[in-house]
Amino acid sequence: MARYLLLRLADAIPTILLVLTLVFIAMRILPGDPALAALGDNALPEQIAEFRERMGLNVPLWQQYLNFMGGVFTLDLGSSLLKNTPVITLIAQNLPYTIELTLVAMAMGIVAGIPLGVIAATNRNKLPDNGVRVFSLIGYAIPDFYLGALLLITFSLNLGWFPINGAGEGFVDRLYHVFLPALTLAFVKAAFLGRLTRTSLLEVFGKDYIRTARAKGARENRVIYRHGLRNALLPITTGLGLSLLSTLSGSVAIELVFNRPGIGRLLISAIAERDYAVIQGGVLVFAMFVVLINLLMDLVYVVVDPRVKVQ
Amino acid sequence: MALNRRNFLELAAATTALTAVGVSSVHAQDADTIRMGIAANGPRHSDPNQTTQGSDNWATEQMYEQLVRPDDGRFALAPAEYLPTLATEWSTSEDALTWTFKLREGVQFHKGYGEMTSEDVVFSYERAINDGTNKTIFSNIASVVATGPYEVVITLKSPDVNLLGTTIFSNNSSIVSKKAVEEIGAEAFITDAVGTGPYELVTFDAEKGTTLKRHEGYWGEKAKIANVECVYIADTTARTLALLSGDVDIIEAVRAPGWIDSILQRDPTLQIDMTTPGSFNTLHINLTRAPFDNLLVRQALMHAIDRPAVAGALAPMGGTMAGLQPSFFPAGFAIEDLPPELQYPYDPEKSKALLAEAGFPDGISFDSNCSQREDYSSTMLIVQEQLRLGGFNMNLIIGDHTAYHADNRSDKNTLAMHSSSYPPIPTQLYFQQLSSKSEVKADGSGGGNYSHYGVAMPGIDDLLAEALSSTDYEKYVEICKQIELKVLTDLPLIGLSTLGFTAVRNARIDLGFPVESGYARWRFHRATKTV
Repeated sequence: MARYLLLRLADAIPTILLVLTLVFIAMRILPGDPALAALGDNALPEQIAEFRERMGLNVPLWQQYLNFMGGVFTLDLGSSLLKNTPVITLIAQNLPYTIELTLVAMAMGIVAGIPLGVIAATNRNKLPDNGVRVFSLIGYAIPDFYLGALLLITFSLNLGWFPINGAGEGFVDRLYHVFLPALTLAFVKAAFLGRLTRTSLLEVFGKDYIRTARAKGARENRVIYRHGLRNALLPITTGLGLSLLSTLSGSVAIELVFNRPGIGRLLISAIAERDYAVIQGGVLVFAMFVVLINLLMDLVYVVVDPRVKVQ
Repeated sequence: MALNRRNFLELAAATTALTAVGVSSVHAQDADTIRMGIAANGPRHSDPNQTTQGSDNWATEQMYEQLVRPDDGRFALAPAEYLPTLATEWSTSEDALTWTFKLREGVQFHKGYGEMTSEDVVFSYERAINDGTNKTIFSNIASVVATGPYEVVITLKSPDVNLLGTTIFSNNSSIVSKKAVEEIGAEAFITDAVGTGPYELVTFDAEKGTTLKRHEGYWGEKAKIANVECVYIADTTARTLALLSGDVDIIEAVRAPGWIDSILQRDPTLQIDMTTPGSFNTLHINLTRAPFDNLLVRQALMHAIDRPAVAGALAPMGGTMAGLQPSFFPAGFAIEDLPPELQYPYDPEKSKALLAEAGFPDGISFDSNCSQREDYSSTMLIVQEQLRLGGFNMNLIIGDHTAYHADNRSDKNTLAMHSSSYPPIPTQLYFQQLSSKSEVKADGSGGGNYSHYGVAMPGIDDLLAEALSSTDYEKYVEICKQIELKVLTDLPLIGLSTLGFTAVRNARIDLGFPVESGYARWRFHRATKTV
């Protein structure tokens, strides 16, 4: 198993390097001067030249690339051009908030989505099923930033039940602050997982072993959860992996709407300000998450389906 | 203790109820704290000499002071209007080259760093001259010398009758503690500031913002409210909701048409604080691109733009400029005070006639870049529609704000809108936007003169040099007026409108002074709050 993990991680290195190279090139191709973004449009030519020199932006591109890649291997991602803070520090400050939001949203999505899918599948073409299908449609259709604004206006502004922005201090306060943003992301997750669970279960319910279990007189709950849901888990697991990745990327907009710290908000402002080092560091984090989540999903398959073996 | 499902649910419900009651107490209801919602993602610096983000100045404005300052909430429209601050009196030589400042005695720095002396003033200026983000404003200084513990002499390379406005009152000339910089270290000082202002820095968090507390050793009247929190909320919706919910007391407004009306509809008790003029929105006409090298075409353009309507669309934040300065600024004209041929009233028919006279009876089509930022795009969309009626078909290409400025700096635009704030020192705008020294270059190494005025055609360089070397303030203003008239004759640059910096304030806060003019920040030390 350890060898398998190491091999999979080694496989990911070229992917991450390729992503970083593409980001490096893309940022340099994009119009926009970080010096001008930092100093403002009234900056004089000599101020701009001095800024570029101070930030190492006047050396040839290949040298900037080598400096950056060299830094990645030594975990020195450079410093923010604008905040004068090491990128690694900025990531360390922001990453916990993004992970917190993603995990709480995923937990909410799973807790709501899978039971909804079960209810829909076990009540096929009845009112609960139709209800879940309508809910799924709405979940797919509504943009998360819009839903976030709606929830903010309703529950924070009008009802005053939740804080309007920030991430809170301490465990309880942080949970309180993360609830509404996570609910926003969870809404889409629940719609997706509900739909997926319903489809997977309906497929499994048509299998011979389900008919056999029922013929043997097994209780319906046992048929649904032991024989049905257990066997429907493989596609749901794949869906969970995809959902986790989309939650992570969805956090970008939600962090802005709810004014929460996080990697998404950090990236958005860095892109607007052409803060190259921060963009590269942020993308590195996202790329590593993609690799790790894919690896995690592969490992979960082994647990969920005994037929899958690690080789 | 074993936790079964029922216990868990009961515990969860209780926790939720407690948090909903206990934690939801809104920060802004604290009578001894002002919470300001700032339109940015996070603070970059608390060192006034390193600041590169305008919104950070809300905090530095509270923490630092200069030798002189204008009264709260306004610009000093002439040198005589500056008030003694860290200097109690000052004098200048007849040639306006030597300025002597007597310092206030007993001024204490924050955090116990001792009394401010001439040593700190010299140190602050040398630091700004050698290592600041705005060395340009100090480029005329030949020396800063302490002539006693409470006296400093500044010698200039060339006369500057406006020294108080050009150099002495600026963020970069804030006085910092020499001892603090040496003890804390220049790098750490960026986020751990020590000044003399009515508030001192408590925390600096690059993600959340800054918190300040009253400087108990302040030399003047101490701040009435004990704490200031600068909360960074870049998203406009989140910022607006934060104000409406009472989470913050004041927010930086969105400078777009209709925004003020919509927020007042939601809560009519909100107070609007606005500086006039705020930003100067100007339109550079690229003189190197035909047919805009033709004066008749530029005159047609001027008649096609309804400048009062542009300002009106931005109401109440918008204001008109007859030339390049608002009428109440030095060298500013009211439209009716201009010669009739330089008033350029809105007249689309005259615009078409001028285009026909210039050889374009069917009008002119051209591309122009514009930033997506609200203040730029809304203004230029209005101008686009007005121009269409005057015979100009402007294809507006709206894009990313940073890219837009980079394109302007690389001479890629035909009609380039520029938005920037200026103090009542007209030569600053003339130098940055009209001087041949600031001419834009295709390789990006040039300045902000996007029209190529002074190079593509004779400009105002001589007049500008004369104004800058003037030793008499009245003479300086007179020459600036000549520059205004010349620019209105040649039309390389159009003053589209002004756009006031605006903050929206909960009625619980009384600032203690009216906000009339000034930079996009003001002090909170006279503010009071009722809960």
